[in-house]
Amino acid sequence: MKNVFGIALGILAAIGGFVDIGDIVFNVAAGATFGYQLLWAVVLGVGGIITYAEMCGRVGAVSKTAVFDAVRERLGFGVGFVALLAGELVNLMTLAAEIGGVAIALQLLSGLSYRALLVLAVLVLALVLWLMPFQWIERIFGYCGLALLVFVVAAFKLHPDWGAVAHGFVPSTGSGNGWVYAYFLVGLAGAAMIPYEVYFYSSGAIEEQWGPKDLGLNRANAVIGYSLGGLLSFALMISAGALLLPQGINAELLGTAALVAEAPLGQAGLILALVGILFAVSGAAIDSAFAGAYSVAQFFGWEWGKYRHNAGAPRFTLAWMVMIVLAFLIVVTGVDPIMVTELSVIFSVVALPLTYIPILLVANDRAYMGNYANGVVANILGVFYLVVVLVIAVAAIPLLVLSNMGQG
Amino acid sequence: MRLSELLGLSVHTESGGSLGRVHDVRAELTPRTLKVTGLVVGRLGLLERLGLGAPTSAARLRTRDVIPWKDVLRADRRGVVVRDGAKPR
Amino acid sequence: MSTEIDLGLGVLDHQLIDSEGRRCGNADDLELEGVREGEPRVVAILTGPAAWRGRGFFGRLAASVVRGDLVRIPWEEVAEIESGVHLRKTARELRLGRGDDRVRRWIEKLPGSSL
Repeated sequence: MKNVFGIALGILAAIGGFVDIGDIVFNVAAGATFGYQLLWAVVLGVGGIITYAEMCGRVGAVSKTAVFDAVRERLGFGVGFVALLAGELVNLMTLAAEIGGVAIALQLLSGLSYRALLVLAVLVLALVLWLMPFQWIERIFGYCGLALLVFVVAAFKLHPDWGAVAHGFVPSTGSGNGWVYAYFLVGLAGAAMIPYEVYFYSSGAIEEQWGPKDLGLNRANAVIGYSLGGLLSFALMISAGALLLPQGINAELLGTAALVAEAPLGQAGLILALVGILFAVSGAAIDSAFAGAYSVAQFFGWEWGKYRHNAGAPRFTLAWMVMIVLAFLIVVTGVDPIMVTELSVIFSVVALPLTYIPILLVANDRAYMGNYANGVVANILGVFYLVVVLVIAVAAIPLLVLSNMGQG
Repeated sequence: MRLSELLGLSVHTESGGSLGRVHDVRAELTPRTLKVTGLVVGRLGLLERLGLGAPTSAARLRTRDVIPWKDVLRADRRGVVVRDGAKPR
Repeated sequence: MSTEIDLGLGVLDHQLIDSEGRRCGNADDLELEGVREGEPRVVAILTGPAAWRGRGFFGRLAASVVRGDLVRIPWEEVAEIESGVHLRKTARELRLGRGDDRVRRWIEKLPGSSL
């Protein structure tokens, strides 16, 4: 029964679930370094994920095949296998970064040891994935992620120069170190368009048993939900720009992001920020673990999906368990989770073309989509963002090196 | 012979002219059988590899040139040989 | 009643779905007969890691890493082709999805496996 109420709930979950550790790290760092000048980069990235998420949802709802099913069917074993390897590598890095982020947020809330909290985070995430139905997971983590709205309040309370903020929405080459600016541009757009989101979203359409009648819901989720989710990214950058930049504070710690909410709003702001970060990043961890399991199961033709229940899709279940264990092993080495986050976003950017090209192909394929294939608007946006994605994919690693990972 | 062995084979006429490669195999599906009716042949460009230049209809067909099987003289690991004058429809 | 279909685009690499709607592998290759005799037809679907050997460099790479038999499904077992290839029998009867069966045995030991 997809009435207006149902649509509103879906949008709320999309908003709260939009932000992940990559968005937090890059938006706060960009604000602390360049103030409001890179807001347009977020707009660019949000436009891209809206375009491709809507396509993925439509592909799932109409053809009942998820992206990775279609990649192998359409492009063959070889191309599909390379896309799988690249995608899994990136999913794993993303998952490791998110788990690290969860542990840091827990540490800031509780004061307990980081490594102990890593174990706790992994156990709780595994339990949630094991016990909860798909819809519950998405709703709960999405709604609780709405605590991040505290950053919107903080942004207003910090009284930024709204003229300068408005200027930030206009594309520019920025002032300061050009390589660092370009690095942040790539990172911000990439953090918004990260691959696990589209793999997850298309499989999610099938988990939720969407059909052609749900295309309105799909569009609402993608367009309204992700636009408003983008507001959270703006809020992060604006607050950081208003508070950190004038004081020359470097945003190298996740705690700095939370402090951005504490300064104008006190203890309540801090708690809400940490809770919001905790749930948003946990939700992202779950989604990227699922994305990894979806991809491998779909490529090899295994049964998949939470809707099949744990024992109904055994290798799929095993896959997400293995993903979580591997990601844990990466972060438990003590590697800096912020660095893992930045690397995961940059490598994701490199993998973006291989992720997005098949989606555009399948969304246009009438054998899958019938009358619901891409119209002119979807294709214009789709091709535009494909070009964007190709450009930043080529530029990503050179910029990582030239900007000294954003340090200049 | 397996389908994977047939796909990508080079196609020549009896007299040695090159027609490109096998992109796909056209077949007729009935309730109990799947009979090969022809070969989809052409230059193996990037677009073909990606499955573009492909269906605008709902049918799972490539709209490129099909050589009917009756014009195929030989098909094995060395390649496919068709009659001179065999025309892709 | 017949329809035209392209084997590479419409059958190869598509999902196999058994009579109970269960996903049980992909059509990794197809076996043809009668090619020399001039009456070629598809006689079987080949699935399983061993079937990847014919699928190019990455196919051979994957086949060397993943252990598994080749399962041959006679074409008579195909009920219809939509997006997936729908089969007339269950996966068990066709010896498909055994990887899932093996993993299920220990997943079922954990509490909450039916959730």
